[in-house]
Amino acid sequence: MTQFLQQMINGLSIGSVYALMAVGYSLVYSIMNFSNFAHGGVIMLGAYFGFYFLAVFKWPFVFAFFGAALGSTVLAVLLERVAYKPLRMRNAPFLYFIISAMGASILIENFVIATIGPTFKTYPQVLSREPFQIGALFVGRLDTMIFVTSAVCLALLVYFIDFTKVGKAIRATAFNARVSALMGINTDMIIILVFAVGGFLAGVAGVLFGMKYTVYPQIGAVTIKSFIAAVFGGLGSLPGAVIGSVILGLLETLISGYFSSQFRDLISFSLLIIILVFRPIGLMGKPSEEKA
Amino acid sequence: MLKVEDLHVYYGGIHALKGVNIAVDKGEIVTIIGANGAGKSTLLNAISGVVRSREGQIIFKDNPLPPLPHTIVREGICQVPEGRMVFANLTVKDNLVLGAYLRKDTGGIERDLENVYRLFPRLKEREKQMAGTLSGGEQQMLAIGRGLMSDPELMLLDEPSLGLAPILVETIYEVIEGIKSTGKTLLLVEQNAYKALSTADRAYVLEQGRIVKSGRARELLEDPTIQESYLGVRK
Repeated sequence: MTQFLQQMINGLSIGSVYALMAVGYSLVYSIMNFSNFAHGGVIMLGAYFGFYFLAVFKWPFVFAFFGAALGSTVLAVLLERVAYKPLRMRNAPFLYFIISAMGASILIENFVIATIGPTFKTYPQVLSREPFQIGALFVGRLDTMIFVTSAVCLALLVYFIDFTKVGKAIRATAFNARVSALMGINTDMIIILVFAVGGFLAGVAGVLFGMKYTVYPQIGAVTIKSFIAAVFGGLGSLPGAVIGSVILGLLETLISGYFSSQFRDLISFSLLIIILVFRPIGLMGKPSEEKA
Repeated sequence: MLKVEDLHVYYGGIHALKGVNIAVDKGEIVTIIGANGAGKSTLLNAISGVVRSREGQIIFKDNPLPPLPHTIVREGICQVPEGRMVFANLTVKDNLVLGAYLRKDTGGIERDLENVYRLFPRLKEREKQMAGTLSGGEQQMLAIGRGLMSDPELMLLDEPSLGLAPILVETIYEVIEGIKSTGKTLLLVEQNAYKALSTADRAYVLEQGRIVKSGRARELLEDPTIQESYLGVRK
């Protein structure tokens, strides 16, 4: 039982980082109906920003953390302006958006390899490695911080989307952008905003991921897992993205803990595929209804 | 108040509006009748900025309209689109609140929300329900209410009676006359020519992208060619 709870705690920690990444995919999908595969590149650069601010510029952690998040925000908006806006203006088919996203993703990754280099970078130690002990359970300080930070970010996101006027405008635009414009909503600004929010959370996720593991140019390949979690939860649905991510995180750690970490991805993704075969719209997906 | 001058709209190679001229004066209900595909919705969408015109201009209160839909709403023009198009994933109240998206006058928004609820008590009863769960008639009420929430000077209504039971068509048209009595101006596009001509002050007949006839709505109602083509009266 203790071991099970221990695994659950680890799973929640990594699952919550997946959730931060996954909502970025879902937000963009809900508005623009395509999967922004360059999102992984934004997450990866967020991790590098955090690393440089902390390890090279020696900024205090809070500054480095917000610096990385803001850096990713700017990058995500820039990505939209350069890679997607010209396509939007021409009403290009969605396939072109995906190709543009893949191109941007490869570009970002190779830009980092060419300028910074392909080697792994390790974040300086910010938190003590001494875990909290609750009964027989050991809870890492870093895992706690990751979970709390992610949960706060996600709670703020839900509040923003569900209860503010601009959040409602985002949901309206997700439902029907043309009619939203007829109501006076500047849909171009809404798209910028969605990329900015997704980019901010990508930066936060990148730093948390980098602190837990390491930083390297292929982090984007890991973030694909969060994309799959978003699909599994129901692409375009924010609660779906969060639930899908947490389930994926739990599955991964439980399988590594009880079985073998070699089989982790194999088993967890097979399960996801099986679920999608029986429920292609994902757990929370509601086609043509609630999307954001 | 609104002047459309020599407006040409193309969809790729299709010439949808071929030099349309119309004028709407303050406080009037003007209707545009015509068959399917005549260009009625295209004309409203060109005024709203959703489709671009290639030639001609649209003057509103002596100034050309700005180019983008949301900036046109700011000028005081609001379109209630064809087929209702309520935000099915939002509550009834949130739909109405978004109608007032550009407004900052909280007091005025509150007052207009009360007015919309007075106009359509059904919406008040269902204010917390998702708009997608409303019936077609209720969705049309919501679409009109949402349009009113922007407090427009000119309201563009695209086929408000489409797909509604006759009793609801009556209700909607009573509301349209009610809106006129509050001093707003309406431009109404309809296939239900009889209803539109009996409600409007003036009318234009649009055929294949051209205005072929215009005049007092009452007179067009008596016009033999209109009766034959649009009102189903056989000679």
